[in-house]
Amino acid sequence: MFKLHYKLERRAIGLTLAIIAAASIGGIVEIAPLFTIDQTVEAAPDMRVYTPLELAGRNIYMREGCYACHSQMIRTLRDEVDRYGPYSLAVESKYDHPMLWGSKRTGPDIARLGGKYSDEWHVRHLINPRDVVPVSIMPAYGWLMDNALRTDDLSGQLAAQRAVGVPYTDEMIANAGADVYGQANPDSAAAAGVTSRYGEATTVRLFDGDPQRVTEMDALVAYLQILGKLTDAASQDTAAVETQ
Amino acid sequence: MMTIVAHDTLVWFAKTFGLIYLVVLSVVVLCYAFWPSKQKEFDDASASILKKEDRPWQ
Amino acid sequence: MLSKLTKGEREGGLIILLAMTVIGLVIAIAGRGDPISAHGFLIMLFSMAVAVPVMRHLFDPEPSRDRLDSYYDDPSKVGVVLTFAWGAFAMFVGDWVAWLLVEPNLTFSGAWSSFGRLRPVHTTGVIFGFGGNGLIATSFYVMQRTCRARLPDQLSPWFVLIGYNLFCLLAVSGYMLGITQSKEYAEPEWYADLWLVVVWIVYFVLYLRTLSRRQEPHIYVANWYYMAFIVVVAMLHIVNNLAVPVSLFGAKSHSLFAGVQDALTEWWYGHNAVAFFLTSGFLGMMYYYLPVRAGRPIFSYRMSIISFWGITFMYMWVGSHHLHYTALPQWVQTLGMTFSLVLLVPSWGSAANALLTLNGAWHKVRDDATLRFMMVAAVFYGLTTFEGSFMAIRSVNSLSHYTDWTVGHVHAGALGWVAMITFGALYASIPWLWKRERMYSPALVELHFWLALAGTAVYVFAMWNSGIIQGLMWRTYTENGNLAYTFIDSLVAMKPYYIARAIGGLLFLLGALAGCLNLFLTIRLAPGEAEAERAGSGPAYGRPSAAALQAGE
Repeated sequence: MFKLHYKLERRAIGLTLAIIAAASIGGIVEIAPLFTIDQTVEAAPDMRVYTPLELAGRNIYMREGCYACHSQMIRTLRDEVDRYGPYSLAVESKYDHPMLWGSKRTGPDIARLGGKYSDEWHVRHLINPRDVVPVSIMPAYGWLMDNALRTDDLSGQLAAQRAVGVPYTDEMIANAGADVYGQANPDSAAAAGVTSRYGEATTVRLFDGDPQRVTEMDALVAYLQILGKLTDAASQDTAAVETQ
Repeated sequence: MMTIVAHDTLVWFAKTFGLIYLVVLSVVVLCYAFWPSKQKEFDDASASILKKEDRPWQ
Repeated sequence: MLSKLTKGEREGGLIILLAMTVIGLVIAIAGRGDPISAHGFLIMLFSMAVAVPVMRHLFDPEPSRDRLDSYYDDPSKVGVVLTFAWGAFAMFVGDWVAWLLVEPNLTFSGAWSSFGRLRPVHTTGVIFGFGGNGLIATSFYVMQRTCRARLPDQLSPWFVLIGYNLFCLLAVSGYMLGITQSKEYAEPEWYADLWLVVVWIVYFVLYLRTLSRRQEPHIYVANWYYMAFIVVVAMLHIVNNLAVPVSLFGAKSHSLFAGVQDALTEWWYGHNAVAFFLTSGFLGMMYYYLPVRAGRPIFSYRMSIISFWGITFMYMWVGSHHLHYTALPQWVQTLGMTFSLVLLVPSWGSAANALLTLNGAWHKVRDDATLRFMMVAAVFYGLTTFEGSFMAIRSVNSLSHYTDWTVGHVHAGALGWVAMITFGALYASIPWLWKRERMYSPALVELHFWLALAGTAVYVFAMWNSGIIQGLMWRTYTENGNLAYTFIDSLVAMKPYYIARAIGGLLFLLGALAGCLNLFLTIRLAPGEAEAERAGSGPAYGRPSAAALQAGE
């Protein structure tokens, strides 16, 4: 009885091991080389990290499921480049944990949305898309204007980002709360700290038009306005585009 | 830290090893499936689920 | 039901539930101010709700040893009910979001009910709620029958089933609360992911323990498919969900991978969730229920083995076809495309095997809607895998990607293959599980079949049309070399197809609701097998006749 039992067990475990052996190879072979891709991919010395306000906006973008309808990946196809701008490079999403390339365009691609519309347009569009685009089927996000942005966990968010490889400095982590306020209030004393830590090109604006408080709208609009603008690498890349 | 193995080496390995693995695995699976002495085991197995009694053997 | 558990099992279960209640309370208190707090309360209330009936039966006498002479089917019964419940819920949400794309104001003003939060509720509810419960319920049933062995204990199957449903609840409620890590089809946050790992390990060990109780050395092939489902899903789930939480009592985490590595890991996961959750597991279902229901052995056992290894090996390579023309290195894209094409061989091997098994039993397919569900599922499996390989070709993908064609393809698989084989398997199991002569109303099964088929056809045709039109409009140029259409032009052109899609979904939902009604009536009202035999009419299906076994051998 024991012998039979042992033999049966061995078969079941053998089957399991064979499944693992057969199934793991494909993934290992395809994914492992990508972790050495830094050796071959274009460099982007001007690449900056997301500010705390933009990162908070990115979290809201994820929370509301925006990625289900908007891609952030312009393919190397002529019509996409003509419609949306220079095609996306690997380096542009190197600080994106996780990436938000998306898989469906119920709405247009927004990889290069930053700077295309005014803050006011975004605010109106998010409160009710049909006010600015009458045939739009995008949901209305009125609560973004009502909700104050949560800031107590932002230092922790930045620290977790650093733990997975984004080069946030101790100073950035320590000042995350102040930087959020500063970026959304250009007249405040905290505004100078944002540009000193994240660069002169950082947009410091009253994104939602309301100076009283920092709302989720501030964060999301700040994020949408930085899309495609963390580095200039894509517009310098002149490789040929494939035509169909 | 990733410079221990060159990217090109890994890519080369990926392209060749995968193919070899595919061929070897196919041969092993085909041998297993068509091994003559396995015929009875397979026939018994495919008939086994059609047995009538609906209770454990113990 | 609970008094069938031994005293030790009842006590063990209660200890686990009380521990969970405490953990829930700790999370609720320590995580206050964070969305995770709501989940702490959910875990606490869920555990308490399950603990109450256990406590009420805690001092029941030990069950008699007779129980060991029959299979342990109570978890399968509950699993079947849960499958229908999740199906009805998730398909309702699916049709709701389909209507939202026609008329975006058809929702409440609260954040929880916006399209972006409801869409993962639909996908998770259908894939994990409906599909997962169907797989767990049928796997318990199939592994016992094919091993001719009772489940080794009566506690771990409950732990798997109830624990898994807690995971589904955490996932679905999380999206509505705004808790998501945004990885498609892997949206639940880190703590829910960890909990699923625990449940999954118990599930795997339970499967191994049951297998080791069998008498025959050979393991029936359906179990191979179920095993691959369990083992590989564990692998995919763990790797893809690697993340660093912001704090121990906070919901948010940050994915370990970024950018291009994350994209490939995500689609390696995403496509293999299709392979090992939505294909391998359901093939296991098919390789048991279809032959048994038809009363004929599988056409070629060898082919089922070859297909098994083909699918297990090759699927792992093809995820990169989701990333054609992106920033992913081209050699990975090419590899993905090549393997996608080769994959057609084992896929069609399985589909052909199923249909050839029915050769000689077509009269049963004609008369029996349950068997017809399985037959149509096999046909859709063949069609969808062909379509999938076709769409993985780079030039085709340049048109189809990002469009509704992908949505149509996914639903051809989800409605036509996954849901149809599940409904077929469930309609076959329900009378067997509840010891009924047949489903209460064969007419309702028939109605469900035609609603499901019509719904799938309408849905898929609508999405093919909209997807291809979208793809063509986006790439059409005028004679002057300018883009001919704005994005909004393409959106306006989609409207009739979105209406058709929502109607197709509604038909499918109505079919599922007919199934729920039939399930309820069968449990409550259908005559038992014993009564039927006394009345002189034996069970109509599920008992192979000797004649059927000989035909075609």
